Amino acid sequence: MNAMKLKLIYPQEKIKEPILSKLCKSFEVDINIRKANVQEKVGWLELELTGKEEEIEKAIQWLSQQGIDVSPIEGQVFVE
Amino acid sequence: MAKVRALKCKECGAEYKVEPLHVCEFCFGPLEIVYDYEEIKKNISREKIEKGPKSLWRYVDLLPVENPTVGLSAGFTPLTKAENLGKLLGLNNLYIKDDSVNHPTLSFKDRVVAVALSKAKEFGFDTAACASTGNLANSVAAHAASASMKCYVFIPSNLETNKIIGSLVFNPTVVAVDGNYDDVNRLSSEIANEFGWAFVNINVRPFYSEGSKTLAYEVAEQLGWRIPDVVVAPLASGSLYTKIWKGFNELREVGLVDRNLPRMLGAQAEGCSPIYQAFKEGRDFIKPVKPNTIAKSIAIGNPADGPYAVKVAKESRGDIQIATDEEVIEGIKLLAKTEGIFTETAGGTTIAVLKKFVEAGLIGKDEVVVAYITGNGYKTMEVLEGKLNKLIHIKPSLIEFKQKVTGKK
Ligand SMILES: Cc1ncc(COP(=O)(O)O)c(C=O)c1O
Ligand SMILES: [Zn+2]
Repeated sequence: MNAMKLKLIYPQEKIKEPILSKLCKSFEVDINIRKANVQEKVGWLELELTGKEEEIEKAIQWLSQQGIDVSPIEGQVFVE
Repeated sequence: MAKVRALKCKECGAEYKVEPLHVCEFCFGPLEIVYDYEEIKKNISREKIEKGPKSLWRYVDLLPVENPTVGLSAGFTPLTKAENLGKLLGLNNLYIKDDSVNHPTLSFKDRVVAVALSKAKEFGFDTAACASTGNLANSVAAHAASASMKCYVFIPSNLETNKIIGSLVFNPTVVAVDGNYDDVNRLSSEIANEFGWAFVNINVRPFYSEGSKTLAYEVAEQLGWRIPDVVVAPLASGSLYTKIWKGFNELREVGLVDRNLPRMLGAQAEGCSPIYQAFKEGRDFIKPVKPNTIAKSIAIGNPADGPYAVKVAKESRGDIQIATDEEVIEGIKLLAKTEGIFTETAGGTTIAVLKKFVEAGLIGKDEVVVAYITGNGYKTMEVLEGKLNKLIHIKPSLIEFKQKVTGKK
């Protein structure tokens, strides 16, 4: 089992979609939400994704395809 | 008796033992070092510091390291009174804190890496790593070499090699990842979780970021143990800016200075300004942006300490401003021609924003102002191509020299 702490940021048009529920039905992952803030124009939540490595990677890929911004909890550590 | 008490979550306050941890298990907030200031106060004095090594380690009593072994010459860079630039801007007490000459890789990153890897050694790590191709990578690779640590640097695969020569020369393993910055970033987090490596800006980040506090300590000491009225500093992840603030707060806490705290003015590039935007819109969270600016060393679209930087700007009665790419270049040129200091784009941003704050009337002419110059211009020469005066070509003839150069017959 692997675990990954992620921050998801939803654009306005995705806020009303049941993204996480679809995610859990489509991949063998569990989610545990720790913090969230959903407003009219943008929403974010922080969660832990657990599952097998491949399932986690597939789940992240799928989320990105849905237009969700997925980043590790550390924030962006990469500096050019 | 220990000066460091624990790690503590900045969000929910949960405490942890001093270990290579950076995220709260409960709420995922970032962890920060908690000190026992009462204990430190008994041990510290101006005289003791002044007798210490000529490096950032003269402040070891306020750093989370027991026994410094890496980066022993980092820090203690010049604080120059900028008479010429000051005159031009109408400031009587302008100072430049010049980390463009930090040892060994010419940016303020040598401070944070010295602390991170000294701590990593204490924890028993034998491998240092980071995701970066710029100043941070240079510094990690150099310090790892001198500390005989193995070193991994992660970069996106579409980068030109000339940007990474300054790291490659120290012989780290450089891993080019197929994908964009976000992919490199996420992969690095996964690797940090799984391998027992000291990832300077991930699992040892709480220790790493403390190194920036020394930028506050040194300035206060160099001003004759006083706190400036105004500070201008660049913002990328927001770590440097928030830690300079913490540094000044601590100096008061342990009784080394007794003045008011400075107003903290922050600088971002217009093409990557998520912290500025959050500050202006009064948001307490950051909307990530895709960076598009020549100021690449400060181009972080999703800054980890962004919300805390916004808080510091408010708490200190400070402000945050942005500079366009053109203004950044003008800033570089202005500092060079007035003070003889060649800084990179981050420093150009700081100077450009300083100028804007002065023009907006936010800085009084007699206030003591310190601008933090955090990197060296010889690293980003390409941004100046076509932006400087042309050469004057002549034959080796006195007549031509007079005609073409001095304009005298
Ligand atoms: C030259 C220079 N100045 C400033 C910064 C800003 O640092 P921070 O991420 O701590 O805000 C960086 C690095 O990111 C840098 O390389
Ligand atoms: Zn917490």
